[in-house]
Amino acid sequence: MNIQFKKGVLEICVLSVLAHKDCYGYELVAEISKRIDISEGTIYPLLRRLKDEGYVTTYLQESAEGPPRKYYRLTDTGRNVEHEQREEWMRFVASVNALLEGTNDAAD
Amino acid sequence: MLQTEAEYIRILKSRLEGTLPADELADILSDYSEHFRMGKANGRLEEELFRSLGSPEDVAREIRATHFVNKAESNKSCGNLLHAIGATLGLGLFNLVFVLVPFILLVVLLLVVFIFGIVFTVFGPAAGIYAILQILGIPAFAIWQSPLAGIFFSLGITTFGLLLVIGDYFLARFFYRVGIRYLKWNIGVIKGTECVA
Repeated sequence: MNIQFKKGVLEICVLSVLAHKDCYGYELVAEISKRIDISEGTIYPLLRRLKDEGYVTTYLQESAEGPPRKYYRLTDTGRNVEHEQREEWMRFVASVNALLEGTNDAAD
Repeated sequence: MLQTEAEYIRILKSRLEGTLPADELADILSDYSEHFRMGKANGRLEEELFRSLGSPEDVAREIRATHFVNKAESNKSCGNLLHAIGATLGLGLFNLVFVLVPFILLVVLLLVVFIFGIVFTVFGPAAGIYAILQILGIPAFAIWQSPLAGIFFSLGITTFGLLLVIGDYFLARFFYRVGIRYLKWNIGVIKGTECVA
């Protein structure tokens, strides 16, 4: 798929992973790149912007091995935004699918 | 080029040093060090981690753009706006069309309105002075049937000119605000160079 388009949907992907559970950076990147092929490095600037916007906060947590890790948590605002964007995305995908199926029938 | 953690961090640092405050830069670098550390703990090689992160130059450009746009938002000035636009242009050729062209058009529009406003604001009182001269009986040549019409004309034109200048000011502020919102959106959508997928 066009990568130009992928970057735009990265935000909703990050928000929705964080809606499930708090993550540290590497975990979040791994979770997303498992399904979407992107330059993983761009997730960190995105996380900073989400933090600037007040959608996420960060906290440090000790880990069994090595130094503490930086965790990202959704704020209440972030949770609302996640919800809105999720609905918007679902509606959009449903419309596109309906359109594609419609043209598919016509082609038969 | 070596695709190591040290090289990745070095490139990021060299591109962002002097632009970002030291603490913010340190924070960013530590995010990427943590990424490499966790990746290696999961049995991945530095080279592989480097490749899937993508180009550090692109990451640096994106961080710079965000930094300058935020700065232009919190501290409104022409200089900051130009920095923000310059940094956003670096994100891709795409933005020559989607950032630079609209920006130039808006600046030209604001400038034209401003010039018209100034011309009317200056021309109005000049016409008023001419009408007063006419009342005093020193007309060069009669433009108006009655000099009183000249006075009203002058007031009207002056007011119109001032309204244009004031309107232009608010229009510029409005475009500034909307422009910053647009740049923020743009950074989130415009990719850097092609990722090695």
